[in-house]
Amino acid sequence: MEPQLELLPPEILEAQSAFAERLSACADLDALLRMKGAYVGREGSHAARLMELLKTAPKEQKRDLGAAINALKNAWEEALKTRQAELEATKKAIPAEDATLPPPRPPEGALHPLQRLMDRLVEAFRPLGYHVEEGPEVETEEHNFDGLNIPADHPARGSSDTFYFSARPDLLLRTHTSPVQVRVLKRYGTKNAAGVSLLEEKGGLRFLAPGRVYRKDEIDPTHSPMFHQVEGMLVAKGIGMQHLKGTLAYAMKALFGPGADVRFRPSYFPFVEPGCEMDVRCPLCGGSGCRVCKGSGWVEILGAGLIHPKVLEHAGIDPTVWSGFAFGMGVERTAMMVSQSPDLRLFFENDQRFLAQMGGLD
Amino acid sequence: MQIILSQLQRELPTAGLTQAQALERLPMLGFPIDGVATVEGETVLDVDVTANRPDVMSHRGLARDLAATLGAELAALPTTTLGGAPQREIRLETPACPTYSTAVLTLGATQATPADVQTFLRALGMTPKGLAAVDASNELLHRYGHPTHAFDADKLQGAIRVRFAQAGETLVTLDGVDRKLTPEDLIIADDSGPIAFAGVMGGESTKVTETTRTVLLESAWFDPKVVRPMARRHNLHTDGSHRFGRGADPVMAAVVRDLLAQRLIEWAGATVLSAWTVGAVPARAAAITLPLTQLNRIAGETVDAAEAETLLARLGCEVSRSATTVTAVPPTWRHDLTLPEDLAEEVLRLRGYDRIGSSLPAVDADPEPLSPSYRTAASLSRRLAHLGFFQTVTYGFIGPDEDAAFAAAGNPAEGRALGNPLGLEYSVMRASLLPSLKATALHNRRQGQKEVRLFEIAPAYPAGLEGKPSVALVWGGLRGGEDHLTASRAVLAADLRGVAQSLGFGSAPIQDLGDGLLGVEVALDTLAAPPERIIPRFQGFSRFPAVERDLSLVVDLGKPFGDLAAAMGGVLPQPELQHLGVVDVYRGKGMAPGKQALLVRFRFQHASRTLTSEEVEGWVQSALKAAEGVGATLRA
Repeated sequence: MEPQLELLPPEILEAQSAFAERLSACADLDALLRMKGAYVGREGSHAARLMELLKTAPKEQKRDLGAAINALKNAWEEALKTRQAELEATKKAIPAEDATLPPPRPPEGALHPLQRLMDRLVEAFRPLGYHVEEGPEVETEEHNFDGLNIPADHPARGSSDTFYFSARPDLLLRTHTSPVQVRVLKRYGTKNAAGVSLLEEKGGLRFLAPGRVYRKDEIDPTHSPMFHQVEGMLVAKGIGMQHLKGTLAYAMKALFGPGADVRFRPSYFPFVEPGCEMDVRCPLCGGSGCRVCKGSGWVEILGAGLIHPKVLEHAGIDPTVWSGFAFGMGVERTAMMVSQSPDLRLFFENDQRFLAQMGGLD
Repeated sequence: MQIILSQLQRELPTAGLTQAQALERLPMLGFPIDGVATVEGETVLDVDVTANRPDVMSHRGLARDLAATLGAELAALPTTTLGGAPQREIRLETPACPTYSTAVLTLGATQATPADVQTFLRALGMTPKGLAAVDASNELLHRYGHPTHAFDADKLQGAIRVRFAQAGETLVTLDGVDRKLTPEDLIIADDSGPIAFAGVMGGESTKVTETTRTVLLESAWFDPKVVRPMARRHNLHTDGSHRFGRGADPVMAAVVRDLLAQRLIEWAGATVLSAWTVGAVPARAAAITLPLTQLNRIAGETVDAAEAETLLARLGCEVSRSATTVTAVPPTWRHDLTLPEDLAEEVLRLRGYDRIGSSLPAVDADPEPLSPSYRTAASLSRRLAHLGFFQTVTYGFIGPDEDAAFAAAGNPAEGRALGNPLGLEYSVMRASLLPSLKATALHNRRQGQKEVRLFEIAPAYPAGLEGKPSVALVWGGLRGGEDHLTASRAVLAADLRGVAQSLGFGSAPIQDLGDGLLGVEVALDTLAAPPERIIPRFQGFSRFPAVERDLSLVVDLGKPFGDLAAAMGGVLPQPELQHLGVVDVYRGKGMAPGKQALLVRFRFQHASRTLTSEEVEGWVQSALKAAEGVGATLRA
């Protein structure tokens, strides 16, 4: 429908006749925005004036006048929009500066690769209901050895393997993250005033314990007196090897991707029975055999097993009711394997070039 | 442990075991292969055996486990039956040696170790001595796992006693070392005193040489609880201590004595004068009963009871089965089997872990939240990495000198010192993370980094041995200068303070570490944990326009802005005053000496209405008055 322009006041008609010329005269977006304000802005514009006019118009004119106003306003808005798009396109086409000049960049830091790997493990286990437990580096023999069924004459307890403190010979630097097991199991095994333990109250326990551990190894390309482990543990009722296998296979797929293939071999650790080691299909050669996997196609990645009944008993948990599994993974070993880093010392030297390359941001 | 493939195959005559099968089977039995080599034309496997399995520390022992899983036959042991009346008194004076088999033989005029045995020994990395008693003892140890010893009988004086040493006694061992004995050392003695470490190493005074004419053989059983600490105490880790120290098979004592004598007859033309045994083999271990429900629980699935029975029997157990249990008496070589769980492991191991299914457990327990300390560390490390800092990991122990510069007076290094450190530079649990970060920063500077931005999250020990999870930052060098818009300048304390404040470090001091490095450290528990809510609770904010006003004030150099801010903030309305800061400090031309100009910026906003310019102007004037009260003047 053609707008019935004759119903409109002369100043509007004038504005309308100048519209096209003024529109093309808008050289930039600022000018266009000003013109937009004058024609269709909320207050003081031609369109606003027309709306006021409509309010005071005689009843019989309202319908036609309204239609005319709407048509005019729509036409203006449409044309302004088109021109705005044109101007924006032009603006982009004109280089305001040399875009090939290196721009200021925000600084880039990085998480340590060992931290990233530990975080990834936590991430892999969170959907299975695991939380994170922490424990101190300075530990007691009870937590580090006794509670883990490690006999009093075990060589690992010797001062050639374990760091002890001179002023406090009863304290040592933990040699693994397994003392966190003892601490958490004791907390969950302790009965409250009503005779109910936290384990009974909650019905189960699942956690990871990432952390720093110490062994008296000389510093060389494959040894370090400090390294990291991630401990994991699950306690519930009726837990067997099948669950251990299923859980770790799941986690390795979360860590290494859906194609991750694992195998379990019998092994021995005093705090589990049965014990096992888990290998993953060599990530370097895919199983055909290489230097990293010593030709076997498999790389050992962690030790695990069902919690030894004596470990549960030590914490006051009845092993005829509760059972579970535990595992411990060497973080550096896995980080070196995955990254094919040639020297363990790189991880503790903290060269920013290494950290930038290996760490990145998650 | 070195294992010669052909000799392993010899113990499994009907199994048809190939190298490929051995390499595949042994790891799946719990014995990973660390390497394969060809020595003396023999394929030698480097087999990793865990400490709990001394019974497989020989060719026959390993073959026995393979036979059990394969259902194959073991080669029959050669049998010789020797006997005779005791030729010399042997007194077992401690239960640590319950049985002692011996024989006395005279050697023939010549002796030669057969070529195949020489190859056997060389392939295992040993040098044949050409002395039949020595070479045969070594061969038998590696073939059957039972250590033996031969004395030159003509050098023995009086009765042989197995006893604990007395303080002050000494023994020159075969390696020529004169060793002081302790009352915990189990020894073999004659009238002259100690002549051998029981199960560990023989003595120099009674050793077999080329001129030896008569030998006395020793094939005994020694308690691992005694042998193992003894070997460690004297740092004498021998093939013998390795096996006795973990637990040998007492029944093999007499058997291997016979085999050793037989070899001397064959290799050295020896004549057995007599062979006899003192003491008795310890009673067999008690029967272990494994309920089938427990076996199935441990597997996580149903295990065929008949198969379990068969597998345990193949291991050498005496097995019986009821409808609900399997009961087994472990063989004399398996000291590691004591619990029902141990039997279950053996069944599953021989059956193959690969045959166990794989499933996620259904655990009816609610997930627990991540702890505030973990969430603090996790979010802080991410934040810092995004701010351009590199996370480092450094050792928890440092040298006392580095530590001293950062330790509080009441926190002496002695209280945090290791008794057995790797070296002085790794001997004290650090009071602060900063010395480690400083060393790392200097390393990076030496490597040519213009700007060093580091952090670490780890326990520090600011008060004794109680670790306090902490975060420390070190920043130094030149920042900027990498593009045409950002000038290069030295990193200033203000830079690090800004980061520290934005991270909520509060008033933690920025420390000048020297060498252009700045550091700050706080304990994680002083930081607010990230909110546990997925997103925080809503708090209203003003939608009315904020008004900014600047005021240029001249103050004395050295006058802290903090004084001005306190004075001005005190007279301005809260909460309308949203921000009070300084956007420029001018100390250049035109300033009177000893003066500086601060361009102070205020931002005001009202919660429920638009501010009028009159009221804002009034506030700024009152702020000016307050500033003048502490010595500032309005800049002309």
